[in-house]
Amino acid sequence: MRLPRIFRTTTFRMTLLFLAVFAMAAAAFLFYAWFATAGEVTRRADAEITREMNSLEAVYRRGGAVALNQALIERAGGERPFLYLLLDKDGKRMTGTIAESPIEATEDGENWATFSVTDVDMDGGETKRPARGLQERLAGGETLFVGADIGESRGFVSGIVNALWGAGALVILLGLAGGAIVSRNVSRHMAGLTDTVAAVRGGDLKARARVRGVHDEYDELAEGLNEMLDRLERSMGGLRHAGDAIAHDLRSPLTRLRARMEAALIEVEAGKGDPKQALVQALDDADGVLNTFNAVLAIARLQAAGEAPDQSLFDPGQLAADMAELYEPLCEDKGLDFKAELVPGLQVKAARPILAQALANIIDNAIKYTPAGGAVMLRVRRRSSGEIEFSITDTGPGVPEEHRARVVQRFVRLENSRSEPGSGLGLSLVAAVAEAHGGRLELDEGPGEYNGSGPGLRVALVLPRVDGA
Amino acid sequence: MRILIIEDDVEAAEAMVRGLTEAGYDCTHAADGEAGLAAAQKRGFDVLIVDRMMPKMNGVQVVETIRREGDATPVLFLSALGEVGDRVDGLKAGADDYLVKPYAFPELIARVEALSRRRETGAVATTLKVGDLEMNLIARTVHRGETEIDLQPREFQLLEFMMRHAGQSVTRTMLLEKVWEYHFDPQTNVIDVHISRLRSKIDKGFDRQMLQTVRGAGYRLDP
Repeated sequence: MRLPRIFRTTTFRMTLLFLAVFAMAAAAFLFYAWFATAGEVTRRADAEITREMNSLEAVYRRGGAVALNQALIERAGGERPFLYLLLDKDGKRMTGTIAESPIEATEDGENWATFSVTDVDMDGGETKRPARGLQERLAGGETLFVGADIGESRGFVSGIVNALWGAGALVILLGLAGGAIVSRNVSRHMAGLTDTVAAVRGGDLKARARVRGVHDEYDELAEGLNEMLDRLERSMGGLRHAGDAIAHDLRSPLTRLRARMEAALIEVEAGKGDPKQALVQALDDADGVLNTFNAVLAIARLQAAGEAPDQSLFDPGQLAADMAELYEPLCEDKGLDFKAELVPGLQVKAARPILAQALANIIDNAIKYTPAGGAVMLRVRRRSSGEIEFSITDTGPGVPEEHRARVVQRFVRLENSRSEPGSGLGLSLVAAVAEAHGGRLELDEGPGEYNGSGPGLRVALVLPRVDGA
Repeated sequence: MRILIIEDDVEAAEAMVRGLTEAGYDCTHAADGEAGLAAAQKRGFDVLIVDRMMPKMNGVQVVETIRREGDATPVLFLSALGEVGDRVDGLKAGADDYLVKPYAFPELIARVEALSRRRETGAVATTLKVGDLEMNLIARTVHRGETEIDLQPREFQLLEFMMRHAGQSVTRTMLLEKVWEYHFDPQTNVIDVHISRLRSKIDKGFDRQMLQTVRGAGYRLDP
């Protein structure tokens, strides 16, 4: 037999466990309470009996058995109804409120007993009530018994005990009900998450858990799950994309290479072409294919990894200075004015070799597209937001605003750039590098007209701020 | 010069053997890691070319083993994995240089040449001398004949590298890697410009041009 779902939940089982522990604690408490109060009642009764006994013995010492007998008769009608019995030295009842002693006569002095007295009420019904009694042999050989009815106090104690039992039962009932409610609540929340996981397992990578916006631990779990799924989806998308891109982007250059070699073979067979030249050309083409392949692979790996590997803290100005030192002569050679404006002492967390490659790509582009007489400027600064910005501004033709988003995409080369060599992957790689560092790539218009060309392009690679820097 | 090529791709190995033999090297080929290690342990090779991924025993294990046995023969690592982390792993295992597949043949020859001569250079030279070009590594000065040549720090490093590999072809990628410590191929001819600046400083006004361009490969500093 299977229990209803709700009784199989962890929460419900935990509730049961708690109830069991609670019940045990309650039982221990009840036992202690009973023990303590019942003991106390007996102790008090004993003390009173002892006092009465002492007082009666004092009467006996002063006036002998006769005075004692008289006192007993008087006291039996008193406020506090002790039970009395006085026997002579032969054990014959002299006086008392009870017929016979519940305690068998013993040789030595004192004897205590717990016994019960039976009351007969007017209707003839009998009630038994607990009592304590003390019996002593007096100096003249008589036996005196003094007892007290403790039924009332005992009744009070057992009333408390009964109340506690009732309360315990109520608590257990309430606990079970509460446990069921809490379990249902938890189950309902978990069900959302479980459904999401099941949907993803079933192949729906778009499924997301509902976040209720109350910022409790279920929301936290749901958010964590969603974030994980986002990442998984991104990297799987990246891989699929990479596969598609490699197929798409290598097919055309490979087709070109094949066609060229085929044509060269025909020409060489006809005795017209120069085989060496054809081979040199084929080698060039193959290198081009490899470059494209490497770029696609680098982008795909960055996208799949999600985060650039082996990041370290370093001074971005230092890296930019190295790049400036590498590229400055090239600019000068091309008749470009090169300037670097680097704020020292900043800190950035990045994979230095990968970042260097990204910067090299941007600077390569700037130099490639800026005509002689133009200028290229490399800047590193910290934005007021704390982000670190590398920017390269050139005075080339720039990129019209409507195309800016597009040139970052893979393999997009604008019409007027087709004459320049390149895979069209430069900026895509930069964008992938920026993303892998949690940053972004921004394209803006350059400084405007400059020495007959313009308006120029400003490419900014923005990396997130380093905490504590 | 004897070279041991440990490479499981037989066709690639054959091409390598052909090219290196042509360049005047005496080549031996082992087709997997275990055979390669056994051959390397007999010693007597000047350079080992080790492929990273091979059956039975991978390149990293081969290099680690021979290094542990105290064999300091220069090792050139070949790998299809070009990521920074892979490069570091290879060099950490004890390889001296790392070349990513596919490579241009002149690049391989240049690197093998650089490795095979590495042993001959004195470890603690304070001056380098190539022809009438002299470099003081302590004072960081350069003279050609009587003329003092003023170099920027990077130009000094570039010339130092060229002098340490005098008479050998060095490629642009090697220069970018060893002098600038960048591991990417720039799209533009950025290295050429630095070389031509250096050339104008050390060759201008002299009859003999020391810094030569090697077609299809790179550059060479001749005495």
